[in-house]
Amino acid sequence: MTWISNTITVFGGLLLAHACYSAQEHAALQSFRAAATSTLTSSTPVASSLPVDIAIETIVATLVIVLGLVLGTRPLRPIQWRVWAGKIEREGEEGFLGNNGEVEKDYMGNPFTYLESRPSFVDIRRQRKEFAEWIKNGGGDAGKK
Amino acid sequence: MLSERDFQISPIVQESVMHNSKALQNLQSLSASLFGISAGILGLESYSGFLFYIFFSLLTSFLIYLVRVAPLSSPKGYKDNKGTGNGLGSGVGGVKKYFRSGFEFWAGGIMNGFAGFVLTWTLFYGLVRA
Repeated sequence: MTWISNTITVFGGLLLAHACYSAQEHAALQSFRAAATSTLTSSTPVASSLPVDIAIETIVATLVIVLGLVLGTRPLRPIQWRVWAGKIEREGEEGFLGNNGEVEKDYMGNPFTYLESRPSFVDIRRQRKEFAEWIKNGGGDAGKK
Repeated sequence: MLSERDFQISPIVQESVMHNSKALQNLQSLSASLFGISAGILGLESYSGFLFYIFFSLLTSFLIYLVRVAPLSSPKGYKDNKGTGNGLGSGVGGVKKYFRSGFEFWAGGIMNGFAGFVLTWTLFYGLVRA
């Protein structure tokens, strides 16, 4: 997804550079024309403002770059503990992908893992059942001899 | 205002606060310089330049709101026990899910990027109209 925002930003940057160059040329031309006319006639030069197409190009370029930058921001995270922990519980790593589709580096994981791995919370019956299944299916060499 | 008791009842994740405000500040300082460039190219002076800056900062906040805040802030059908969807969609339009105050989100960019804006504004005004 990063390439979309990068492409938009670079395109806007090109537009902005072109608008900047055009405005600079226009200003240079104006001052040149003013100098030329003032030598011929003593009339005051008309101060002409920026042509409207350059103005439009600048505004459009600004909007395009802002759009690209906004699309390139990293996804926000919930700040309230319950919402944040609930999101981790529900979505796991899927909920903390960066723009490039990889898990963000500062993703810490479930804040309650230390609680869930305490001995009192180990599901001993399920483990016994799994062990019995494993024995029944002849897992390992100890059951067969 | 939130009291200490409120923070104990519904604690805040500091890492997420830092992450969000960093993401927001990066964008705001970059875009403020950008607005300075365009204001300089347009040749704006005095009040019109500041109005340009305020308008585009608010527009940037609105774009972030549309792209990052609005689609995620309220899952369908979620209601808490008060029936308000509080926490997932709290504040005006769910901004409080990601930021401590709505003011920080909507108007923080105007203060953060102001120096960068004036810098590039004067620079490009001088460059273009040299």
